[in-house]
Amino acid sequence: MIDSPLFYASLTYTPATLGFLGCIKPKFVFPIGVVTLLGIAGFTLRAINIGFETSYKLMWVGGIEFSFDKFTFPLLFGACISMLIVFGLYKEKLTHYFYQICLALLTALTISFSAQDLISIYIALELTGFCAFILIADRNDDKSLFNAFQYLIGGGLAMLIYLIGVVQAFQFSGTFLIADLSTETTPALCLIVAGLLTKAGIFICGLWVPNIYSHANSQSAAILSGCVTCAGVAPIARLSTGMQPIENSMVVIGVLSGIVAALYAVFERDDGRALGWSSVSQLGFAILSPTYACVYAMQHGICKTLLFSTLTNPKTNDDNSQSQNNISDWILVATFIIASLSIVGLPYTAGFITKTWLKGDIPMEARLIASTASLMTATVYARLIWNRIKNSKLTLKTFLTPKWIAVFDLFRPKSIILATSSLLLIAYGFSYLKAYYPANIRDSLIALVLGSFLYTSVAGLQTEKFVKPVTRTLDLVGAPFVVAALLLANLFYLKI
Amino acid sequence: MNYKAIALIPVIILLIIGCFGILNSKSIINSLFSLDVIDTATISIFVLIAASSGSQTPILSDVPRYANYSDPYPQAIILTAIVIGFATQSLLCTIALRLSRATPLLRYEDLEK
Repeated sequence: MIDSPLFYASLTYTPATLGFLGCIKPKFVFPIGVVTLLGIAGFTLRAINIGFETSYKLMWVGGIEFSFDKFTFPLLFGACISMLIVFGLYKEKLTHYFYQICLALLTALTISFSAQDLISIYIALELTGFCAFILIADRNDDKSLFNAFQYLIGGGLAMLIYLIGVVQAFQFSGTFLIADLSTETTPALCLIVAGLLTKAGIFICGLWVPNIYSHANSQSAAILSGCVTCAGVAPIARLSTGMQPIENSMVVIGVLSGIVAALYAVFERDDGRALGWSSVSQLGFAILSPTYACVYAMQHGICKTLLFSTLTNPKTNDDNSQSQNNISDWILVATFIIASLSIVGLPYTAGFITKTWLKGDIPMEARLIASTASLMTATVYARLIWNRIKNSKLTLKTFLTPKWIAVFDLFRPKSIILATSSLLLIAYGFSYLKAYYPANIRDSLIALVLGSFLYTSVAGLQTEKFVKPVTRTLDLVGAPFVVAALLLANLFYLKI
Repeated sequence: MNYKAIALIPVIILLIIGCFGILNSKSIINSLFSLDVIDTATISIFVLIAASSGSQTPILSDVPRYANYSDPYPQAIILTAIVIGFATQSLLCTIALRLSRATPLLRYEDLEK
């Protein structure tokens, strides 16, 4: 593979350059941007397959070190694929600076996935926050502007908390490198991790996630769930690989996040918010194991992008075409179902493989609770699939008597993208055949069936009375303090 | 207690005031001011810690006058944080301007419906 520093520097900064050029010549740069994304996706896929690792220094000797390794490549691949799916599906509906922002976002994400020092991560996360802010405000009504305000003030405060932690660590060790962090400076570690958790949207820090996903445009929500929340996952995985206390605390935080958010998702009746809570819960699982966190986050990001893109039927411009659109509607619903099943972890989908890896790497007690939470995830997605089929107004009759002209729908770009991505999700399920031993398959099938039964028992609950959405700004802003205090208590006294 | 820790006390008090303000603010403008206070406190912590080794200008020379210089590394880095904090403030002010057309008082209880 390629080892030149120049190549990796250009891999990092080409998307942002294209994004800023795209502000001048939007139509001309768009195809170049798509080709670049395809190229990065192909390169990262090859690097994942051969387990390639490298590192380089920007500005050569004495410069800032970046490393491209097992944490970087899966997440970068996931981000590229999410962006390609969104660009393909919403090409006509993108506002005129949407893809430029996405390309700038990709550069910020690459830096945060590959940076080795805390200050580069800080700058990358702030840039990610600004891009996400513009994507949230893309809908341009008062409520989405207020949501963007909450995100930015919460993220800004979390990053200031992070900076205070960084300066404490600097006072002790004299450098900003992650490798030189020491467990001696416990409060500093707590502050740093609390800031990162807010950006990743995990547990109490992730209270902003459901509000924003449910109200943003579906293309913005797809990008936010697929790429932006992954930005915090890679630094957390890097931190917890090196330090045992952090890894142990992450098991506590991850399990809490998985259970609490899954419960909220079960009782939530709005589909967008339920997807948001499920995202919090899944990323909580991801941080349980530092080795497989990035692969799990990648699979979850791609599935969530597909889910948000197919959650509602896109409105067609001409109304008389509704009778002809049967096949593309079927493809939308089928993609939604496959992506949901992949998150639940049905055998022969991508989610099953990543879940098997993750379960093999975490402690026994955490595995038990993780199985419980996957049961609740199955309940959530049983409801979502059922709602989606009900809302689509498709009947078996329309499927059995297709209009012949509708066959051409199959060759539209949108249908091809959706069909290819769902087929690839299934094909990825065959990539690691060692996962298919009987006990594992039995576990996942039992979780799925029990989850569907559980759905029928909670379907009639009037949950509006006791589950209120968290929308107060103070709750969103104060969450990092609570998590920092919790971590501090854990590291000093509880020592789980 | 050494003098470095004593120098940090006012900054920590400033930080606590900012956190108290942001957690008890009733309107967007209060939150903005509180965030700025926390920003200032963070920057001051960085500068104080950089100056703990000495307070002279960090210039390379053979003259002993500049031997007792302050650490330039955190100061260079905090410049970035100042700029980012300024950008955050300006974006938040823009949002406040837009939201004030519909809700001129910018109170959270009106906006969080």
